[in-house]
Amino acid sequence: MKKYVLVRALYSVVTLWLLVTIIFGLVRLTGDPVAMKAEAGADAAYVAQLKSDWGLDRPLHWQYLGFVGRLLRGDFGHSFEKSLPVRDIYFERLPNSLKLGFAAFVISVVLGVPLGMLSALKVNSGWDNAGKMVALLGLSMPGFFVGLVLIIVFGINLGWLPVLGKGPSTFVWSMPSTWMPFWFRDWAYLAMPAFALGWYFSGAMLRITRSGMLDVLGSDYIKLVRLKGVPERMVVAKHALKNSMIPVLTFAGLNLLIMVNVAVVIEVIFNWPGVGQLLYDALSNRDFPMVQGVVLMSGLMIVVLNFTIDVLYGYVDPRIRLSR
Amino acid sequence: MIKGLLALIAVVGLALMSCGEAAAQKGTAPAILAGPLAKLDIKPAQIDTARGTPKGTLTVAMHFALDPGWLDVLEHSYAVTQQMYDYLVHDAMIKPMPYGYVTYGLAEQAELAADFRRAAFRLRPGLKFHDGQPVTAADVKWTYENFKGAYAKVFHDKLEYVQIPDDRTIVFHFKEPFIDFMDLYNGGVSGIGWIVPKHYYEKVGRDGFKARPIGAGPYKLVSQQAGVQMVFEAFEDYWRRSPATKTIVVKGVRDLTARMAGLQTGELDLAFGMTGKLMPRLMADANLRWDPNFTGPWWLIFPGYNESGNPFRDKRVRQAISLAINRSFLVKQETQGIGKPWGNWISPENRDALQGAEAPVPEYNVEKAKQLMAQAGVPDGFEFEYVPFPPYFDMGERILTDLRAIGLRGKMQTLEGPAFRAKIGQGRKGFPGNRTIAQNIDPRAGGAKANVAVYAVCGSSASFVCEPQIEALWTKHQASLDQQERERLIKAIQRILLDEYYFVPIYWNPFVHAVGPRVLPEGRAVSRYWDTLNAPYPWPWEIWEVKADR
Repeated sequence: MKKYVLVRALYSVVTLWLLVTIIFGLVRLTGDPVAMKAEAGADAAYVAQLKSDWGLDRPLHWQYLGFVGRLLRGDFGHSFEKSLPVRDIYFERLPNSLKLGFAAFVISVVLGVPLGMLSALKVNSGWDNAGKMVALLGLSMPGFFVGLVLIIVFGINLGWLPVLGKGPSTFVWSMPSTWMPFWFRDWAYLAMPAFALGWYFSGAMLRITRSGMLDVLGSDYIKLVRLKGVPERMVVAKHALKNSMIPVLTFAGLNLLIMVNVAVVIEVIFNWPGVGQLLYDALSNRDFPMVQGVVLMSGLMIVVLNFTIDVLYGYVDPRIRLSR
Repeated sequence: MIKGLLALIAVVGLALMSCGEAAAQKGTAPAILAGPLAKLDIKPAQIDTARGTPKGTLTVAMHFALDPGWLDVLEHSYAVTQQMYDYLVHDAMIKPMPYGYVTYGLAEQAELAADFRRAAFRLRPGLKFHDGQPVTAADVKWTYENFKGAYAKVFHDKLEYVQIPDDRTIVFHFKEPFIDFMDLYNGGVSGIGWIVPKHYYEKVGRDGFKARPIGAGPYKLVSQQAGVQMVFEAFEDYWRRSPATKTIVVKGVRDLTARMAGLQTGELDLAFGMTGKLMPRLMADANLRWDPNFTGPWWLIFPGYNESGNPFRDKRVRQAISLAINRSFLVKQETQGIGKPWGNWISPENRDALQGAEAPVPEYNVEKAKQLMAQAGVPDGFEFEYVPFPPYFDMGERILTDLRAIGLRGKMQTLEGPAFRAKIGQGRKGFPGNRTIAQNIDPRAGGAKANVAVYAVCGSSASFVCEPQIEALWTKHQASLDQQERERLIKAIQRILLDEYYFVPIYWNPFVHAVGPRVLPEGRAVSRYWDTLNAPYPWPWEIWEVKADR
């Protein structure tokens, strides 16, 4: 098991290094940030000053080595566009994204999983058709459309919910007294963006839960349990649900990461100050350090999640660790 | 007896101070510089002596993410957006205000030697930074010497040395005549005249200053989330008046529908960049008011027009394009009729810009345009690339439709904002190929010469026009120390640019701003906030009034 974990950890490190290198190269293909910052007619001295300030006057390999060296010290560099350390800005935004992502995740699970189960248990019934319709709407009505409808109905027409931002409570890492209020206040601000974001994923959750349940319900061991006369409720709750949840949980975990890191459209519509909007701004302005920082942190989360899943799989299923 | 004597001294002192202010503003204060002086047109500051109490909160939505770097004037960019923050946190020696394009700010007196080799300023007495420290001539000197933003090289190259005769007086000595000094030093053009507290900047450093800047302006920054929100509070010791609004919250709200929704729900009081598809909704909402906020005219340009094989090399083709554009219809479609068809590509708010009878609106005459195309040898037109200013792609489509009537078949090449700006910034080099029309707008301050210098002379990095005739006039302009001659020359250059259709002006663009019901005064009188010339945003901020917070 120890060797298995070490190999998986090594894979993770290599993956991260590849990500670091690829994002460093790719972001530099998108254009010249100095040309974008300097207005038309900017004098050469000003342009040279910007290049020097941003370290873009050095050869590419030195830029790369400097970038990797700083990363090893936990320093993502300075944002070109926002003129402050990337790390500070990113970690200021991350709690907002986590709050939105977790809330949307809960909505997607609460809507998707029970409806998926119901569809599977009442297959080809009216319930199933209703479930399919919800899944279809969830997948075909994009979050920005749902968001705009919510804004018009609940924000403008009814005036029940605020439409902009995350509310006054702020998470400050150095002030533990702000942590709990941040999570448990300003729910009115969270309601619409979380629903708009979670709605889309709930459709996908519903479908994967339904198909997982149907697979398990049709399997031999469930048939055996039923033949043994176990009550249907027990069959579903104890045997079918547990086994059908493995792909659902894996999928849900990845969904959570997507919701936290790339909820760009929803964040823009509701002006939610998360990392998705941060990435969008950074890409628009060719803010290399910020793009690198946000993408790397997102990549790190995915790598850590995959590593954890791999280790857990290896732990619960010896066939996996022995086969590798 | 002693009390009476003290009262007498106080009265005499106050009388002397007010006489000094009045004398300084009338230009009768003792001269700082010896010798003949150049004539300056600097308007006196309007000081509100009845200092009220700030009240209420004004929530403002910018149409893009906020940059903490804008708070640091030492790194002032060319972008006019940064001035929004200059006017909040900082104060300039001289700056544009609603009562004049060049007005006294921190300085109560300014002089420029007749040979343009020296400039002098005297600071007002009793000026303070937000931390209570006095604003001194040493801060002015330090700001100048440490400035590294736009135009820094010009300022540093020209400077010989700085003299500080006393705490309130500063004299800049130049190596050679610096006739543009007052134009460039004006807070509306560059950042060098916005004064930074030396003691504080040296203490907190570059990042520290961006995170928590202090200045001598009407508002103090109290908190910021980078890119998201900045909160400012009134600085009640501000010299000109006590700010009317207690708190100003600036948010970055990129999405137009989000800004509109924020205004309608009352979460926003002022939103910028409302021109576009939601204009009819804005105009129909009885709770909202708007100001047209004219910035600069739209114009078309022909990159590489003077190269062989370029169909736009023929003046008749360029003229035909101008004739084929239905400006009145365009204005109705794009701006609900608010925009104004215009005959120059330089904002009329810019000094020396041709306007009115000097630059009449070009006619709309498709038949004449077709004749010109035939005379130019292209009666059936040709294909070309059209690069619109993002995100005004609808406008680009409408112009292409107009041009199709004379056989010009355009293919639109859409770019995102920063990429477009990067291309325009390279001038001709940004648009390879020989069949391109680019659409642009540039409401830059600094007089008509600023626009000419960027786009219409050979040496500029963003040059689109390079003509010997213009070059000769420009060289003469740059060498001249006679303001009237310079004005004549810059108008002559504009005349050529328009007559030869190197630039095709379209319409004067309204960059509509909207306000919610909490903003005072009621009704259309709110438009007074947009009175500052050459200002795309409604500064100064200390005059903004809102209803008290509930």
